[in-house]
Amino acid sequence: MSEPLLKVDDLSIAYASEEGALQALRHATLEARAGEAIGIVGESGCGKSTLASALITLLARNARVTSGGVRFGGKDILAVSDEEQRRIRGRHIAMIFQDPMTSFNPVLTIGEQLVDFQDQREGLSKSDKRRAAAAMLKRVGIPDPERCLGRYVHELSGGMRQRAAIAAALLMAPQVLVADEPTTALDVTMEAQIIHLLRALRQDYNGAIVIITHHLGLVGELCDRVYVMYAGEVVEEGSTDDVYHSPRHPYTQALIACDPANIHDQTPVLPTIPGRLPDLVNPPQGCSFAARCARATDHCRSVAPPHVEVGSRHFARCHEALP
Amino acid sequence: MSALYEVENVSLDLAAPSAGLQRLLPGPAPRMTILSNLSLSVGQGEMLGLVGESGSGKSTLARAMMGLVKITEGNLRFEGQPVRSRADFVKVRQGAALMFQDAVASLSPRRKVAAQIIEPFQINGVPLPDGEKTPLAMLERVGLPPALAQRYPHELSGGQARRVSVARALALKPKLVIADEPTAGLDVSVQAEILNLMTGLRRDMGLSFLIITHNLAVVRHVTDRVAVLYLGRMAEWGPTREVFSRPYHPYTRSLIAAEPQADPRKRRADLALKGEIPSVLARPTGCEFHTRCPLARPRCASEEPRPQMITPERMVRCHFAEETRIETQGGNHGT
Repeated sequence: MSEPLLKVDDLSIAYASEEGALQALRHATLEARAGEAIGIVGESGCGKSTLASALITLLARNARVTSGGVRFGGKDILAVSDEEQRRIRGRHIAMIFQDPMTSFNPVLTIGEQLVDFQDQREGLSKSDKRRAAAAMLKRVGIPDPERCLGRYVHELSGGMRQRAAIAAALLMAPQVLVADEPTTALDVTMEAQIIHLLRALRQDYNGAIVIITHHLGLVGELCDRVYVMYAGEVVEEGSTDDVYHSPRHPYTQALIACDPANIHDQTPVLPTIPGRLPDLVNPPQGCSFAARCARATDHCRSVAPPHVEVGSRHFARCHEALP
Repeated sequence: MSALYEVENVSLDLAAPSAGLQRLLPGPAPRMTILSNLSLSVGQGEMLGLVGESGSGKSTLARAMMGLVKITEGNLRFEGQPVRSRADFVKVRQGAALMFQDAVASLSPRRKVAAQIIEPFQINGVPLPDGEKTPLAMLERVGLPPALAQRYPHELSGGQARRVSVARALALKPKLVIADEPTAGLDVSVQAEILNLMTGLRRDMGLSFLIITHNLAVVRHVTDRVAVLYLGRMAEWGPTREVFSRPYHPYTRSLIAAEPQADPRKRRADLALKGEIPSVLARPTGCEFHTRCPLARPRCASEEPRPQMITPERMVRCHFAEETRIETQGGNHGT
């Protein structure tokens, strides 16, 4: 198997807050290989946005890396200089944001921005860059690319905006493409089209795709491997098929159970996950899901669970994961 | 089931945003049709779902039902009484409540929760039912702790803000709650909590709900009936279970097929629905769906389909619904 292109290694990130250090990400380890699409799923507060900002080296000012790092191209990209981070960002690791409206400047045309994004490409004239931009817009399914280049972001529909944002991200042929909730702002029909587009792009894209979302359906449609996060930790990882069909962590099981898309019969009461996230300033000593877990024992509440291999490349952070 | 709120042949036009010199041209100013000849009724104690893409007119219909925008034609009836004048709408707003799409944005950032949830009483000059304890009683009804009364909206989670908007909607003990995207932006587990809260309220208080959403999974689980809107027109309606198991309108079928499957084994190779919803400024002739319809034929571009009642409970507006119907029934053979 090929070496991973991107490796998040034991990464912990804490935010300074009035109450103390908020441990948003705790010892997260994950990897993405060339040609692979991985999904990172979890609910609000699970640390997925912190992880996303670490991947594109745009951590908030009050964030501090307390352990580990992000390995890419033989370096820890969180430890290199700002200047080098800037070179990597966009050129080697690019991102698609949730709200495409905010990923473009409202007072410049799409064309001007797509030319600007190729700033680091040397030996190309402005008209070459414009041509490259038009070709990329065409590739992401924008019907009249020349016309789109002359438009402002507010003149495009939601679906077209997201396509333009994908084009912007792919323009420099990055090795890693990070998509943070790429379909959350869209209708179900536009979502299906974006899923279709990302899938088609995968066929001739050799880099790694990282999809970060709370939407199990999106990962189910697109990803080969999935990492499930809860309270700042990766609690389960494995192939999408294994995790969706035989989830071993009680949190993953609960999350899948309460997704209405998985419930086929009409039910008067939908399953929920009672309780709330633990306090991340003082994370629990034992398993972070213990307080909400029906199977938790005293052992779970006092001892942090190990990373248990429950199948081939399938892991769960749970004392009870093995039958 | 008797009707609580009836919408009959309602149309709504707005002046089109005409550019520059066009405004100076003689003749009537160009209009755009937002809702066209729409009929719908919400029964007593019923949960009705209204689905469609952005731009289909879902939220406009909700606002028209509350008198926040004026309809151009048609009739509205609440509890059997015609609703036309401003005074009629005042009555409607006491018997029906609207939950706005963005729960956090619909709360004032500067006022505490307690002060905001009792606003409906103040606006309508109704004395507080439980005196000073009113906010606490209201919060309790939606499963929120009393401490929340003293918080500001930014201190609430998405799910809590949504519950506060449910509490506020219930203040005047309405018979109908119109919920515009009640679960948008919520985590799946929280989404389920809000839906359970709504179904519980319906069971305990006999409330009717009109749930507006583009999330079909939500509609499928909690509603009795579903109405599908496309570009301001009704495409299809009927009992939820039947519409989902046997959709007659090609648009309904496409919407159902577009839903992402949380199961890697069920990935679809084909694309459900191509293109985008057309602009109301360039409304297609004939059947407004023909530009995207996989089954469109020449007739669809020229002739407007009329509503057909397949059964007393099911309506579809498609020239070829009969054929689709036979096809689907045949196709459903094995399942």
